[in-house]
Amino acid sequence: MNDVIVVTSGKGGVGKTTTAANIGIGLAALGSRVVMVDTDIGLRNLDVVLGLENRIVYNLVDVIEGRCRLKQALIRDKRQKELYLLPSAQTRDKSAVTPEQMCKLCEELKLQFDYVILDCPAGIEQGFQNAVAGADRAIVVTTPEVSSIRDADRIIGLLEARDLRNVFLVINRIRPDMVRRGEMMSVEDVEEILAVPLLGVIPDDESVVVATNQGEPVTGTSTLAGTAYRNISRRITGEEVPLMDLSARKPFFRRIFKK
Amino acid sequence: MGLFHRRRGFSGTIARKRLNCLLPAERMACSPREMQMLKNDLIMTLARYLDVEEEKVSMQIDYSPVLLTIRVPLQNTEDIHA
Repeated sequence: MNDVIVVTSGKGGVGKTTTAANIGIGLAALGSRVVMVDTDIGLRNLDVVLGLENRIVYNLVDVIEGRCRLKQALIRDKRQKELYLLPSAQTRDKSAVTPEQMCKLCEELKLQFDYVILDCPAGIEQGFQNAVAGADRAIVVTTPEVSSIRDADRIIGLLEARDLRNVFLVINRIRPDMVRRGEMMSVEDVEEILAVPLLGVIPDDESVVVATNQGEPVTGTSTLAGTAYRNISRRITGEEVPLMDLSARKPFFRRIFKK
Repeated sequence: MGLFHRRRGFSGTIARKRLNCLLPAERMACSPREMQMLKNDLIMTLARYLDVEEEKVSMQIDYSPVLLTIRVPLQNTEDIHA
């Protein structure tokens, strides 16, 4: 509890924002007081994924530069009353805040919330430095593809180098049919390569696009992705939830020919 | 593509092998701070035996094959023969 969790990946477009949003909502639905912080200054997205884009008055940079109090910038979620969003600024860039300022902000947020979820921007430059500065734990999101795994590996290395060793893996957009055919790396492959504890696996699911289009979360719905995200939130609170059985056994011919 | 169609390997396996080759090499070069510390240690050791032009020392890691190369310019030693 009173955890600051950064959701990062290195590679862009692998599902950090979607994961951060759904984890946050999931934790609030399980009874925790949660704040989600969009640290992607200049390219904010957490607001639009949550459907809160019309509620923004003040943002992260306003708070840090002292133009408003933290309370004025926090947007309460429409669905979960213990869930808040601190949006990013769209018209500034990553140099607008420093890691020290982010650290201080996280300390302040920790006093008021059970979980602080930071949505990290892609890359390894200032945006990343800012986002990880105040974090206690990191969730690294990757897809089962060569580029994202390589970038995730680099991110894990950078986190270790700054002594952030509470690192967990989320594998996003797995396609069990492709894994069965041998055309996509399996969960075990990715786990073995990256060698950090697995927090969860999200199947590639159309319902994520549909939900984002409407500014709604998938977590809590009966879709595959929804169940997977909810399981991740449950695991974060300490509950033991087995991985969903997405993949089938190896295809017949691979079993007889022992690939 | 039939059941017995020969192929050089499933792409998933290929991807895994490529990453298992690539990542260990990249991990060695991961921390810039460690690279600098290694460089300093090497310069210190070399300087015990040779006149090293410290600011001009350069170091790099290549990936195929995996090779650490250090380039160490030495001070001009003309005066020794004077």
